[in-house]
Amino acid sequence: MRIFLLLLLLRSAPSFGDFTDNLRWSLDASARLNKNIASSNTSRIYAYGLDTHKVFTAASGDLGYVVAQLYFTKLSNQNPFPSMFDSENDSQFIVREAHFNYTASSSWLPNIRLGHLVFPFGLEESIDTSGRLLDYSHRKNLGSKLDWGLGLNKVLKQVEYNISYTLGGKDQPKSIDNSYAYSGRIGSLSHLDYIIGFSFFSAEIDGIKRKKIAIDWQYYWSTWGLMGEISLGKDTKSQHKWRDEKYSLIELNKTSINEQLKLYGQYILTNREGEYKNNHLINVGVSYQIDASLELSISSRKQLNTPESGKKQNLVRFQLRYRY
Amino acid sequence: MKVIMILILFILHLESVYADAYCSLRDPVAQIAQLYPDKTNQISIVKTVDANTRHQVKIALPSNDLHFSELGEHTLYIAMNNTEALGYVHVRSEQSKWGLVEIIWALDKNLKIKNFYFQRCRSPKRRMIDNESFKNAFIGKNYQELKTLISSDGVSANNKLLDKAKDAPELASVVLRCALKTLLITDILWGEELKKINP
Repeated sequence: MRIFLLLLLLRSAPSFGDFTDNLRWSLDASARLNKNIASSNTSRIYAYGLDTHKVFTAASGDLGYVVAQLYFTKLSNQNPFPSMFDSENDSQFIVREAHFNYTASSSWLPNIRLGHLVFPFGLEESIDTSGRLLDYSHRKNLGSKLDWGLGLNKVLKQVEYNISYTLGGKDQPKSIDNSYAYSGRIGSLSHLDYIIGFSFFSAEIDGIKRKKIAIDWQYYWSTWGLMGEISLGKDTKSQHKWRDEKYSLIELNKTSINEQLKLYGQYILTNREGEYKNNHLINVGVSYQIDASLELSISSRKQLNTPESGKKQNLVRFQLRYRY
Repeated sequence: MKVIMILILFILHLESVYADAYCSLRDPVAQIAQLYPDKTNQISIVKTVDANTRHQVKIALPSNDLHFSELGEHTLYIAMNNTEALGYVHVRSEQSKWGLVEIIWALDKNLKIKNFYFQRCRSPKRRMIDNESFKNAFIGKNYQELKTLISSDGVSANNKLLDKAKDAPELASVVLRCALKTLLITDILWGEELKKINP
């Protein structure tokens, strides 16, 4: 069903001229090794897919563009496994981002986006983490990173905004048990050196209700970047009762002047009502773009405090990615 | 199995390309309107910068090369007022000691610089672009005219331009190299198509 919708999205959007006109695409293959030291488990994730971007143009001008990412993904001993898989060794076709953004509205009217969208919320909105080890915890904090639905977006002279209403079915294009999600972010222009944004999120996904607001900011100086996100909210994850939750992340990153080498370090603090202490996490990573196609990445995540279970998070990940 | 077949057929239907495009406008609708306030829409034309394009750049501009991320698909935008083409917009990045500098270039229909501004520049000297004297050294110039501003090493700006750049010689050379590559690559990749639009 998801694949059918993706192909329908690619084919049904208005096309003028050859379908391959203004089409960018690449085949994207990655192998990821996860070494969970805390649970003495080693797992692997293999992904092979097609990443496409097509601008649809009429004689009068551009109408909009489609982004479509379809990946065959194979798990090997991945435990716990994401909800779209049936077991720790399952393999599935996964639709990542897949949407049409209609951009031919008049100057002040918003663009209209339809499809499988990343929730517009926090730092993730202006930093693309698709297929990377770098992550801003959407899945953990919001219940999913992507969802099927409708969005409005626009870049104005001083600000940009993106709001969405989605069905809460995550990878399934339907509402499940009255699931839904409203999400949005308004911020300063995301290509500048100083960026600030404000986000909201209200959803019911997998039977868990969440309400959150967040502020995020980024500052770039030369090849250094300093950024952070603070979100406050509540969810019903624990025994279906509302509990308060606070999340904050601060990141320092550095890229080489030719942007082949990227390093980052994150400190993440989470406070959940009912848990007897705060969670402190450190996440460090490095990626090296060997050439236009090949990228090597490694990251390490460590929990600084000892949780009630007594098992601190301690995860090392390695990824080799080839795009052509 | 059906799904795999559909995927394979879909892949075979496509042309081969190199990698991701990195040089594009963050928001074409808003950013082209800044350069062409009368534009009602824009038309994108995507072309591939490949090893052959890179070779041609090296021949035309010795001592210069394209950044690895430049290989791949790139977009030239035609700013339109209803059905009339007003000019072109192209974004190119150039390496500097402050990281990659991304410059948005507005070109007229004769491939002369109409205007330009930084989409991303993390040099503390980036205000140089507000200096009219520096900007006017580019505006109205074509590739051959701008080539007279490069020094004998093929990568640095000569004194004619540096005099206008004051305390930012490195950034002035970055802007000049970026302008030359933009005009050259626009002509190499899109020249024939643009001649059809503006015979």
